Amino acid sequence: MSRFFRNAGDSDSSESSDGEEELLSSDDEAPVAKPAAPAAKMNMDRFLKGGDSSSDSDSSDSDDSDDSDGEDGNEEEPQQAIRIMSAQEKRLVEMEATGKVMENALKINDWVAISNEFDKLVRMIQRQHNVSEPIPPFYVRTLISLESSVNNALAKEKEAKKKTNATNAKALTAMKQKVKKSVKEYEVDVNKFNADPEAFEREYIALVVREAPAAPAPRAAVPGAGADDEDQNGEFSTVIKGGKSMQFSAEGILKNLQAVQEARGKKNTDRAEQIRILEKLLEVAVTSYQRIRVLLALVSSRFDYNSSVATHMPIELWLSAQREVDQLVAIVAANPTYAIQEITEDYDELKERFPEDPEEKDGIVRIRGSIISFVDRLDDEFTKSLQNIDPHGTEYIDRLKDEKVLYCTICRAQAFYENTNQDEPLGRVIMRRLEHIYSKPDAVVQALESAVEASDIKPSMRLASQGTTSGLIHALCVYLYKSGNSLLRTRAMLSHIYHHALHNDFHTARDMLLMSHLQESIHSADVATQILYNRTVVQLGLCAFRCGLIKEAQATLLDIFTTQRVKELLAQGVHQQRFQVLTPEQEKAEKQRQLPFHMHINTELLEAAFLVCSMLVEIPLLASIDSDELKRKAISKPFRRLLDFADRQVFTGPPESTRDHIMQASKALQDGEWEQCRDLIQSIKIWSLMPEAAAVKEMLAKRIQEQGLRTYLFTYAPHYSTLSLSLLSRTFSLPLRAVTSIVSKMIWNEELSASLDQSGGVVVFHRIELSRAQQLAQTIADKVGAMLEQNEKALDIKMGGTGGWGDRADGNKGEKRGEQTQERRGRGERTRGTRGGARGRGARFAQGLGNEMPSRTG
Amino acid sequence: MAEYDLTKRIMPYLDRHLSLPLLVHLSDTNLFAAQDVQIAQYELAKATNMPDYAANLFSQIYPDQEVPAEFAQKRQNTMLTHQRLQDEAQAVLDVIENPDVAQALRQDKEQNLQYLKDNYNLTLDQIAALYHFGQFQYSYGNYSGAADYLYHFRVLSTDNDLNTSAQWGKLASDILSGKWDAALQELDTLRESIDSRSLPGPALNQLHSRTWVLHWSLFVYFNHPAGRTLLLETFLSPVYLNTIQTSCPWILRYLAAAAILSRAPPPGATPRVRNALREIIKVIQMEEYQYQDPVTAFLKELYVEFDFEAAQLQLGRAEQVLGDDFFLGEFSADFLDNARYLISEAYCRTHQKIDIRDLSERLNLSPDEGEKWIVNLIRESRMGADAKIDLDKNVIEIFRPAVPVYQTVIDKTRGLHLRTSGLGQAISRLGMGAQQGQAEAPAAAPAVAVR
Repeated sequence: MSRFFRNAGDSDSSESSDGEEELLSSDDEAPVAKPAAPAAKMNMDRFLKGGDSSSDSDSSDSDDSDDSDGEDGNEEEPQQAIRIMSAQEKRLVEMEATGKVMENALKINDWVAISNEFDKLVRMIQRQHNVSEPIPPFYVRTLISLESSVNNALAKEKEAKKKTNATNAKALTAMKQKVKKSVKEYEVDVNKFNADPEAFEREYIALVVREAPAAPAPRAAVPGAGADDEDQNGEFSTVIKGGKSMQFSAEGILKNLQAVQEARGKKNTDRAEQIRILEKLLEVAVTSYQRIRVLLALVSSRFDYNSSVATHMPIELWLSAQREVDQLVAIVAANPTYAIQEITEDYDELKERFPEDPEEKDGIVRIRGSIISFVDRLDDEFTKSLQNIDPHGTEYIDRLKDEKVLYCTICRAQAFYENTNQDEPLGRVIMRRLEHIYSKPDAVVQALESAVEASDIKPSMRLASQGTTSGLIHALCVYLYKSGNSLLRTRAMLSHIYHHALHNDFHTARDMLLMSHLQESIHSADVATQILYNRTVVQLGLCAFRCGLIKEAQATLLDIFTTQRVKELLAQGVHQQRFQVLTPEQEKAEKQRQLPFHMHINTELLEAAFLVCSMLVEIPLLASIDSDELKRKAISKPFRRLLDFADRQVFTGPPESTRDHIMQASKALQDGEWEQCRDLIQSIKIWSLMPEAAAVKEMLAKRIQEQGLRTYLFTYAPHYSTLSLSLLSRTFSLPLRAVTSIVSKMIWNEELSASLDQSGGVVVFHRIELSRAQQLAQTIADKVGAMLEQNEKALDIKMGGTGGWGDRADGNKGEKRGEQTQERRGRGERTRGTRGGARGRGARFAQGLGNEMPSRTG
Repeated sequence: MAEYDLTKRIMPYLDRHLSLPLLVHLSDTNLFAAQDVQIAQYELAKATNMPDYAANLFSQIYPDQEVPAEFAQKRQNTMLTHQRLQDEAQAVLDVIENPDVAQALRQDKEQNLQYLKDNYNLTLDQIAALYHFGQFQYSYGNYSGAADYLYHFRVLSTDNDLNTSAQWGKLASDILSGKWDAALQELDTLRESIDSRSLPGPALNQLHSRTWVLHWSLFVYFNHPAGRTLLLETFLSPVYLNTIQTSCPWILRYLAAAAILSRAPPPGATPRVRNALREIIKVIQMEEYQYQDPVTAFLKELYVEFDFEAAQLQLGRAEQVLGDDFFLGEFSADFLDNARYLISEAYCRTHQKIDIRDLSERLNLSPDEGEKWIVNLIRESRMGADAKIDLDKNVIEIFRPAVPVYQTVIDKTRGLHLRTSGLGQAISRLGMGAQQGQAEAPAAAPAVAVR
């Protein structure tokens, strides 16, 4: 319905505006304008096809080179004139094309389009103004016609009962404002035009002619061109060529380059245009010096293209920048006589320089610039684009494929720096390289490395020369360890540990982590390193889990799960704050930190691993303690919380989520139903994401059997006086030897008051029922002990932590704790649970993600 | 059993001369081809100043070849050098051995040096001649002579590097000449200087020094009568335990063996020695991934897995390994005895009724011997009152009455007094600094509360 109405209205208005157009356009101008319009269209096409960039550059160059015209000398004069005219002419044609589009839009009453086109037109006029050319009558004419049609449309709008499209209406009012403003600006011209359009036209032509005597020639050619296509084609190409050969001669390059560089960063600079100019310049650059200079400028301007920090660079631009960096490296690598340095002596930008030049020191041309910063930026932009692309789409995958070329570029840069012995950038570039491969499985690294093998410039450290990925990473890391930069060393260390953990080399990874002493200093590190540390620790926990080291895995993962901010700490998602709203800056900073999706550690898998570990540790413990007092001491608070929650549930349906599975499995384990527990755990789907899932499941089944036996013994020991070992072995389908071993262990550790009767093959329980008084006596002894402990702690705090007093207390306990905590290799079990542990606990996870600090302390 | 031989791992951390006895021992054990061992011996001896020995070895290995002429040449050189160095050193020695001088020398080295310089015109360079001669003597095998000269040098010299070097030299000489008491003393001073030294260099140097000390001390500890206890004392101190874990996990074998050997520590042993086994088992478990041999496996099977059969199996293998080991060879029988004891102890503690025949089997003994052994065990050990042998059924019955509740309460509260007074002292010390009078009140409070 609405469309119908609008259509009717549209046709109405367009007709009327058509009529106005007819009325307003003066008789003698019509023939000029009409043939020009189609010609302009064709011209535009041609420009787009071939010399789009060059023609644009011409127009902008013309204002740059205006001042240089004088010095250029006489022999260039005629060509120069032609060029200016052609540019001017072209602008006119462009303007007319815009006018045509506007006219068309007017016909269908599309004010949005009109508004856009008008903006374009105003911009062109502005440029015209910059070159101090007179305002073409065409513009004035359009202005006047627009004014009237805007007024008409507005009037019609008021009459119409139904409102027009909201955006359209908005555009219309905006147009009204704009037109009003423009009319005011060019009031004199408009008045003059209104008085006598013909005179105005004449005046303009006269002005133009005066300015450039050669002007009429191309002006005449343009209308003619509409008829003769061939002719016009030829004419335009010569103009372009002429311009180019003149503009982009070897000498001109440096001048142009300087012009571009001066325009860089200014408000009105069209960045796309600059890039086009530089591309052209690169094509004609002859000497290495020129090419290096142009490439340096070109790559920087590509990076400049995107001014906002939030969005990523367009992918095509990125790709070309990547290719150009490659080119740059190739040139510099091939010509050792050219060096790119961040700090050089001042040199004349406009002068061509050669290594043979006696002015150059040691015959090396030093050019200001920095390849490493380009590589850094390329890599950063790559990450940024991955952050912004939806990870579930194909676009993400496509983008990810670009990592190969990026990796090649990094390797080339590394090779270059290796050859030139520049240690500082070499360290940085190696770090970049390491960051691309440390968390990847072997197959991916092989794919990346094979691309490097194919490249012409190769670094000394390659997969082929090192044999294995671990070897490669080792070589890279060792270089970084030896380099002086402590930040790089830390990051290399963490990456190395991560890699070991990924390859199930738990012991090496753990030893490296402990020997690095990073857990003590990680708090003062920057956020990115803290994130890497968290990732490493988490991966280490997963590694322990895969290796079947349940206790270690549980202890490692516990810290991050007690914070309940797993995603945030791993930079895989922004934490939703319940009581505090992040400022936009904080949020932005947080977003920038996020890892691209393909680097994520699956948090669900992580949680499953952690909860299963907790179950295996916690359930037997729960069964072993019988007083409520002791129950409060939980090893794994998150797990205990979930378990309590599951206990309170009135009705439990079949398990759906991973947590449900684990909770029900825990219940089954508590009841001694190890088979059910095993089935529930093994049916968790997320295991399929774990490498070697089958082996892990098998390992879990075995652990469940053992812990099931322990839980069973703890739970049901009070109800038996003897229990046959063979029965136990049947129930838990464990070999008799294993059962004996487990029971013996429990007896030896005094967890179970029982002993074995070898001849009967039974466990004999010696349970003593305590009388009420005895129980109370024990409780009071415990409480007195606890009180003393409290006193000691209070004194500790008063004395300011580790004084001579602390050592004394430890010594009294007959343990060598004090010494052990100072050990160089504070092994996990030993450092945990000691007095220092209270402080060390939270400390083991790097939590301070910048903005989090105030919320934690407050 | 060749795979459990540690010679190859230990040798890199030993001096050339210290390795020779190891190789000689190897040639006795027949673990490796005799020819190979001899060649290794020859390669070692070639670079020492013992041309006769090297030549001798050469002719043994290649009986059909002429002994290379270089040995004769070398012999000649050695003699000449010896003469020269001796002359130099003699000058110094003459002065030192003068009774007047001996009396005049004091503790202060600087002063001594000044004294010698003023009265006898002895300079530091001349004193260094003592060091060189000592070193030279060591290199051709005159160890006791070397020890003498190095000792004198150390007394006089102020050069730190050379002093350290002389210390090592003296230790090696003492070891090789079999003066175990002296070696033990030397070892202690050396260890002290390494541990106390705050080297400007990287911590790695210290680690290396400690690794060397660990290896060299094996000679001393397994030859000195009280060595095993001392070994536990030293090796279990955190710094050395770390060194073992970091750079030489195979030392764990000696640590484990020493712990088993000193199962019943002499009275007055430190808690570290008494709890050695527990500590070592923890470490063995931790380092399992990088080092394992029958000795450590035995402890692991017994105390971690409680698999008595496997433990017994490992014990059999450990016995062999021990027999072949240079350091532990002599202690093989002793080790076996103690290990048996450990097995039966663990067995008795977890079992209530034990078939004697079965236990004897576990201990690799015949039933008769087993019975004797068990009776001895019961008599010796603390469980004497609880265990009874029932000959009729041929079983031992162990009645282990549960610990009375009151006992546990007493145990729990036993330490409280001491800790509380510790608290009080700490507070009074704290108060001492600030104000004398105020310290009394808070000190009394916790003590009262606890009691």
